[in-house]
Amino acid sequence: MPEIILKNLTKTFGSVKAVDNLDLTIEDRDFVTLLGPSGCGKTTTLRMISGLETPTVGEIIIGGRVVFSSEKQINLSPDKRDVGLLFQNYALWPHMTVYQNISFGLENMKWSKEEIRKRVKEMGDLVKISDLLDRYPSELSGGQQQRVAIARTLAPNPKVLLMDEPLSNLDAKLRMEMRAELKRLHREIESTVVYVTHDQLEAMTLATKVCLLEEGVLQQYAPPLVIYDQPSNIFVGDFIGNPSMNFVDARVNEVDGDKATLEASEITLEMDFRSREGELKSGDEVIIGLRPEDIALNPESGANTCTIYSTLPSGMETVVRAKIRNTMFSIVAFGRVDFDVDSKMEISFPSRNYLLFDKATKKKLGAGSLKFKD
Amino acid sequence: MKKLLNKLLAYFSKPEHMILVVLLIILIYLTIVPLFYIGVDTFTVHSAEVRRIRGSNVGDFTLYHWEYVFNSSASDNLFYKPLINTLLVSVATCAFALIVGGFFAWMVTRTDLRFKKSISTMMLFPYIMPSWTLAMAWLNFFKNKSIGGVPGIFSALTGIETADWFAYGFIPIVLVLGMHYAPFAFILIGGILRNMDANLEEAAVILKTSRLRIIWKITVPIVMPAILSTFLLVFSSAMSAFAVPSFLGGPVRYQVLTTQLYRTINGVNPGAGYIIASFMIVVGVAILTINQIIIGKRKGFTTVTGKSGNISLVNLRKLRTPVSTIMLVILVAVAVIPLMTFAAQSFFVEPGNYSLSNLSTIFWTGEGSPDIANGEPGILKNKYVYQGLFNSFSLSIVVALIAGTVGILVGYSVAKTRGKFGSNMVDRLAFFPYLIPSMAFGAIYLSMFSVQRGFIPPLYGTFAILALVGSVKYLPFASRAGINAILQLGKEIEEAAIILGVKWWKRMLKIIIPIQKPTVISGYLLPFISSMRELALYILLVTPGTSILTTMLFKYNEKGWNQYANAIVLLIIGIVLIFNFLINKVTGASLDKGIGG
Repeated sequence: MPEIILKNLTKTFGSVKAVDNLDLTIEDRDFVTLLGPSGCGKTTTLRMISGLETPTVGEIIIGGRVVFSSEKQINLSPDKRDVGLLFQNYALWPHMTVYQNISFGLENMKWSKEEIRKRVKEMGDLVKISDLLDRYPSELSGGQQQRVAIARTLAPNPKVLLMDEPLSNLDAKLRMEMRAELKRLHREIESTVVYVTHDQLEAMTLATKVCLLEEGVLQQYAPPLVIYDQPSNIFVGDFIGNPSMNFVDARVNEVDGDKATLEASEITLEMDFRSREGELKSGDEVIIGLRPEDIALNPESGANTCTIYSTLPSGMETVVRAKIRNTMFSIVAFGRVDFDVDSKMEISFPSRNYLLFDKATKKKLGAGSLKFKD
Repeated sequence: MKKLLNKLLAYFSKPEHMILVVLLIILIYLTIVPLFYIGVDTFTVHSAEVRRIRGSNVGDFTLYHWEYVFNSSASDNLFYKPLINTLLVSVATCAFALIVGGFFAWMVTRTDLRFKKSISTMMLFPYIMPSWTLAMAWLNFFKNKSIGGVPGIFSALTGIETADWFAYGFIPIVLVLGMHYAPFAFILIGGILRNMDANLEEAAVILKTSRLRIIWKITVPIVMPAILSTFLLVFSSAMSAFAVPSFLGGPVRYQVLTTQLYRTINGVNPGAGYIIASFMIVVGVAILTINQIIIGKRKGFTTVTGKSGNISLVNLRKLRTPVSTIMLVILVAVAVIPLMTFAAQSFFVEPGNYSLSNLSTIFWTGEGSPDIANGEPGILKNKYVYQGLFNSFSLSIVVALIAGTVGILVGYSVAKTRGKFGSNMVDRLAFFPYLIPSMAFGAIYLSMFSVQRGFIPPLYGTFAILALVGSVKYLPFASRAGINAILQLGKEIEEAAIILGVKWWKRMLKIIIPIQKPTVISGYLLPFISSMRELALYILLVTPGTSILTTMLFKYNEKGWNQYANAIVLLIIGIVLIFNFLINKVTGASLDKGIGG
């Protein structure tokens, strides 16, 4: 069924490589988010899958059918690829009513009038806009326009659904609501979804798999929680998560089996690896990555005290900036807590998900638990 | 009573209120009151008409003119036929301009055409050049012997005598006006196509819509308001065109409303002329009001526009190079060849003889000999030409100064009091002259200021009336620029200065104008160039003493002194192009961006 395979996909605009040698397999009924900062090539990738953009080199296979191949000179036009595309700005036709917007694609496919009416009604019910069918897009709110756009895209029943930042024009509350509905919708219509976004929260919450791109190059392709806990490099670790991961420069002092002593400026830490990639030897320059919620604050008891620099309580959690000697940490303390600025607290590392990256290659070296070493 | 006085004082203590009220009074006097006088003039016996209206005295009330224009044996030739001609010419011009302009706009924005930049630039040329340049060029090329003149270049080169229907009248008028206004359509439709969200078309592509169906069902309906708006603007412009139908229709007596207006007012029946002028004003105002309504509706028509930069262009494949080349060649032909013919014509002593031995600079630098054009000296040695050049320049400078300055004041007072009744009134009154056909505007000022009005002495024959009519007619350009400049600025910038106690005039000169320099400058320069190339507006009001270049051109042309006319055309085009180029360099504005719609 609709499995999408991208092979060596490359797109250059002039001398700029928008997408660079991308290999990706999107399995049937996956919900894959293409994530990355703006200009990283995610929209270009989506448009290449849809056929609106022609790749420079590579191959695209949708549902076992080659729809593009630079080698075999194949380039099916968008209408022959059986994809649906949802635009960031909805692209509703302003001169047509909601009904006409939804039925337009069905007319192109030569459906009978009766079938069209039935299908439009079905779609209207699905996205809850049945009472708006006679209105023009300009008479609808942003959220309603969004629903119409979804209905229009879904009406011809495409096997593959492509979405280009469909929620970015909505306000925060509505976005939250639509996210939940999109996820539900994905279950109901049972199609493969490729979803472009620059919002990491959206990417994490919606996807079965996240594809993170930077400057046209694939960084990591994995389920959300794997991406979160096992970022393959510093970029991924830094991009995912809010507040972002703490990075501490260090030097490897001593390696002893699964343990390594790490010398940061004025603090010495010991890491106990539970997974490791690549060799580690004393003298290596590394970077330690710590998620803010993996750092705990306890009442002062002597040794590893830090000074509270600022606090941002939001009710559910409090984001704290704290300084231990001359290293600043972001810390998330859950629950309704607050701390006095300039007060002293003890810091500890209760988790097992601390990361070690190679400073030169930025790649992940391993993960494990961490503790202070005196 | 004291309360009222205090209220008034408080009201007028704000400079924008003071300016608003003064402007309101002046604008009513200069745009609304003349309409009343021209109305009266259609019922009045003028000195030229005493003989045709038996037993009447100058100034008597009469229904003769209305009877004569609408319901007499002369009505057909005087009014109805020219009216039909005007309608035919205007509709055909619109169609031509829309098809050519729309086609070029679509090609440039939606296909992988070559030379897009050159084509877009060249496309504006026919509009930047005064409309009569193409008409003169047409005559230079295609005129024939049938009207007693000499053959044009085409006949001289090929030996083929052009037919009257091709050389004069309807066909060339439509082609020339159509080509002149095609850039208009190009700019308006191109602008919409460029700004139109490409996703709208892409959404249709994804939903398996054929190319044709996309154009027909998506593109056309969305650009429809722009097309309609272009249609109306071109229609009203074509209707008020004077020079082109006069040059091209004159030889075969093909009359339109403007040429009839000129004939009657300058001839024995000004009253009839005033009726024609009034009629044109009504039509002009009606058309442009409809346009405003359409534009107003269009606002509710737009959707969020997104990134449309990456629209997929239609691949012209094999046709790409030939089509691009043909389009470029056509534009070069329309833009450059006329200029060459003017230059050429002005150097041939004996018209129609295109041999090298006939070349001479006599019409440029000759001292004048009695056997050529009544001994008129060459234009570079001709004191009348210098007088005209001087008049044109001083007139345009005065017009630019008045219109530009008043435009800023209008902009300031309207923007500051936005939404209030007075503000809307001034805004509309300042725009009103744009709705009135140029020549009819000249006519109403002729009617209003040819006699003493209150403390204002009769102005006919003076430089002042030209300056006045020009300033008011081009005020819309300047006031649009002014309103935009002040609105863009936002009020905080001025409020910051008010808090510091900076005086009003200082705020204007030191803060507002410097920040919005480009817009303000364009508010001065657009009236300048427009006035420089204007004919229809001034033609009824000039006297030999106040001749300007364009009216001299018209007179030379009427007398058949072709070489002089061509030389002057070259002179005017030179000035217009140089100044348009300067403005464009300095401010980014240009004639083609003037008011548009």
